[in-house]
Amino acid sequence: MSFRNRMLAPLLVLFAAAVGYPLIYSFYLSLTNYSIIHPKTTHLVGADQYVRAIHDPDYWSALRVTFIFVICSVLLELCVGMALALALQRQRWARNFTRSFLLSPMFVTPIAVGLMFRFLLNQQLGVIPTLLAKVGVTYDFFGVDRALFSLVVIDVWQWTPFMVLLLLAGLESLPRQPFEAARVDGASPFYTFRRITVPMMSSVLTVAVLIRSLDAMKVFEYVYAITRGGPGTQTQTAQYFIYQTGITFFKLGLASAMAYILLAMVMVVIVILFRSVERAKNA
Amino acid sequence: MTTAVASPSDERDALLDQGVTGRSTWGIVGRLLLVAAFFVVLMPFVWVILGSFKTGAQLNDPALLVFTPTLDNWREVLDSGILQAAGRSAFVGVTTVTMSVLVGSMGAYAISRYKAGGGATRFGILAAQVLPPAVLVFPFLAISFTLHVNDTLIAVIAAHLSFVLPVVTWFLIGFFDAVPRELEEQALVDGLGRFAAFRKVVLPLVAPGIGASAIFGFVLSWNDLFYALILAPGSAATLPVRIAGFNTFRGVELGAMCAAIVVSIVPVLIASFFIQRRLVRGISGGAVKY
Amino acid sequence: MGSTLRRRAMLAAGLSAVIGLTAACSSGTTTGTDSGSAAPSASGSVPTTVSGTVRVLMEGVPDTDVVKAMLPEFNKVYPNVNVQIESIVYDQIKDKIVASFQAPQPTYDLAIIDNPWMGDFARAGFLAPLDDRIAATPGYNYDDFAKPLRDIGTVDGKVYGVPFYNYGLGLIFRKDLYAKAGLQPPTTLDELAADAAKLNTAGTAGIAMQPQRGYKAFEEWGNYLFAAGGSIYGSDNKVHINTPEGKKALETYISMYKSSAPANSLNWAFDEALRSVSAGKSAQMVSYNWMLPTLNKSGGQSGALAGNFALSTMPGGKQVLGLWDWAIPANSKVSDADWAFVSWLTSPSGEKARVIAGGAPTRNSILTDPEVAAKGYGAEYYAAVAKILGNSAPLCSGSNCDEMITAVGTEINAAVAGQESVDDALKNAEDKANQIQAQ
Repeated sequence: MSFRNRMLAPLLVLFAAAVGYPLIYSFYLSLTNYSIIHPKTTHLVGADQYVRAIHDPDYWSALRVTFIFVICSVLLELCVGMALALALQRQRWARNFTRSFLLSPMFVTPIAVGLMFRFLLNQQLGVIPTLLAKVGVTYDFFGVDRALFSLVVIDVWQWTPFMVLLLLAGLESLPRQPFEAARVDGASPFYTFRRITVPMMSSVLTVAVLIRSLDAMKVFEYVYAITRGGPGTQTQTAQYFIYQTGITFFKLGLASAMAYILLAMVMVVIVILFRSVERAKNA
Repeated sequence: MTTAVASPSDERDALLDQGVTGRSTWGIVGRLLLVAAFFVVLMPFVWVILGSFKTGAQLNDPALLVFTPTLDNWREVLDSGILQAAGRSAFVGVTTVTMSVLVGSMGAYAISRYKAGGGATRFGILAAQVLPPAVLVFPFLAISFTLHVNDTLIAVIAAHLSFVLPVVTWFLIGFFDAVPRELEEQALVDGLGRFAAFRKVVLPLVAPGIGASAIFGFVLSWNDLFYALILAPGSAATLPVRIAGFNTFRGVELGAMCAAIVVSIVPVLIASFFIQRRLVRGISGGAVKY
Repeated sequence: MGSTLRRRAMLAAGLSAVIGLTAACSSGTTTGTDSGSAAPSASGSVPTTVSGTVRVLMEGVPDTDVVKAMLPEFNKVYPNVNVQIESIVYDQIKDKIVASFQAPQPTYDLAIIDNPWMGDFARAGFLAPLDDRIAATPGYNYDDFAKPLRDIGTVDGKVYGVPFYNYGLGLIFRKDLYAKAGLQPPTTLDELAADAAKLNTAGTAGIAMQPQRGYKAFEEWGNYLFAAGGSIYGSDNKVHINTPEGKKALETYISMYKSSAPANSLNWAFDEALRSVSAGKSAQMVSYNWMLPTLNKSGGQSGALAGNFALSTMPGGKQVLGLWDWAIPANSKVSDADWAFVSWLTSPSGEKARVIAGGAPTRNSILTDPEVAAKGYGAEYYAAVAKILGNSAPLCSGSNCDEMITAVGTEINAAVAGQESVDDALKNAEDKANQIQAQ
């Protein structure tokens, strides 16, 4: 076997077992009417589950909620993360301590973060509403039209450190010559940032946004710990909806179909994203 | 291309070049931002730490700062086997990451150097990240019953591989891409075999990147609740499962849960203090690429 | 909480012995009692020499701890039955036992079933019918269980589960606040609304409500529906909540939420309400009946307010019921040992010991037993529980209950949130519920 294949083989084997097998099995399930409590009456139903999923308004609502959540949280994380990365880059003293402390929210398991904020933001029991009341503000964090944004804020609290990490690494690896030249030319910080820093960081930015977006799409624990999808279905994200359909309501065939539709849509988006970034780079 | 790791004076120059200095308004804004971030991160942790010493009645009072602490929550949590659960989480994380790095580095090297599978490979690897665990968990559950490994850590490790392996491989492809081929070619000319070239020449250069990916992978595995909850909720529970266990049918055992959260954070905080330097260097050294 | 429970559990073990002694002396039944005078009488048709390992998955709640503490006493009667209890989080119980029901070699030999799952599991053939076993067990007195509880365990005319512990709801209120305002426990829904409004002050909300989308909203609102004179199912066994009673119940629920519930509590569930009431920030709540002893425990969560709480039925006397049943899986290889344990534990004497140790009662005889009242939580509490259990109904019976409850609970929450009109919410809830249960 060639060197290349020998290097690839273990990866392919492990991939096939840990990734390929569940993917294929779930795809198979999506073509059946499998329900966990009626296993004996399982049979293939072709694309029925896909049709049913596409015609389910709750499914589209869940996709929409997830889309809004991902856009809001990733954008916020990008902006706040970039600002923090720039600030951290210049920091002189207590660097290691500050950096590791600011990274710590990433390391708390999300369900704990969810439960923490559920009580922190509780009107009667939480510190934050108490402080807000002192300045005369009352705000229903998990009320109508507000719950989703509160979940976004929680996600930002937990995952901005991830962005900071990537962006900081990107910033520290940038070569100096373009900046020297810009300084000599008398460019303002804005100009430097917009015309030099950002374009040179484009690959880092793409990776950061991509990985974080894929992760944000799978948001589940916050919904599970705090709102259970409410008010109404305003925080019912795709992952929560699919979990409920497949595991709580036993309809695993339908849940698999929903998951695969989501997969198809996301892959299309990723391909478009990559193509456009390639085109921008080559332009 | 990439730069070598900068020394403090180089960094200062870099900042000067970027048009930012310590005295400017941006400097002050930056510092304020850091202070604000510090408090935003700190407050929930302070609440959790204080809460772990409060009784049920005391927890009902949101702003209670001065109170007589109780150790009941800590006793309950430590008795409940939380340290063992943390150990299991660490074991799963380390095993998953080790396997991913070993296998992933070899494969990523092949993909990077030989462009195996073309661009489709990189997308294919991401496909696994998109599918919700709610759907993938059932195949794992089914096969863990067939192989009689249900409710063991083996099932959890296999499930964690499904999202750690792709991410690690993905990152490593980027790191390998950043290493110029001339180095291996030189090594081959010098008489090293191809695997030796990989091991002795390329790997050391990518080592910081491997470290960074390993830590990311570990965090993903450490935080996972979903797979662990369904595949090993009983005697082989990992730390997130235990913490979720304080959310009972009869209400959240808040004090105990706070103590459990502290147990889960403190070691990771300490570790991250030492690791974060490597983390940043690792990523920047490899110049994150896709 | 942990150490008190352990003390209680030891008390349970000791008491089981005492009770067993008394029971054996007074019953004089047939098989199996010759193994010792400490045996409770209902050893049933299963000989005490039966052997086997019984693995059972339970939830990590205080009732489970009580059962664990009773195991040594059980083994005095059935020395060769080894009961192994594994306790996990609620949400995972269903998945694990369903997987076990279908495996050729079961992982669990005995199961506890939450009432919404009963219909699905029984119809899927996962559970073994228990009628014959019950009939053959002398002194078991199956009719002693409150009727609504027996109805839950009966699917398509056969008994598949016997009650373990109940989680029926009731009105838990601050009797000191009621007395100060000159109020009596409400007997109609309008009275409840008026009482809550009267008790609503700046620092204390009139009533802590739990309108969280899904299960909680429906569980709480169901009580309001009953108080308005409505019911969930009609005589045709279909969901009929889009009725004048349903409308009144939902309108009252919403107006009470707006006027007497704590501010910004749209997302509140059990925890928030409990803490609000125990901290004195709400005057009452609709909650599980066994929260009363917890709230009244001195040195517990209520701090200085302990002892000020009382329990009554919902206005009108009917409330929502929840129940955990013991059930023997159809694929269990040790069903005799299973029944030995279940019948021993749920027999009148076993239940007595369990309830005295702090478990939630299910038998009428226990609820009226003065000894239980004296050693347990007091006659007043058990009298209230008896009334609650006697006139209660679960949220759902039949198939696909989890889905039905979620669908109705979503509509109720949407109505409270103002996203839907009351009429639309009730209509949608009814239509969806029937459509789901017909699947």
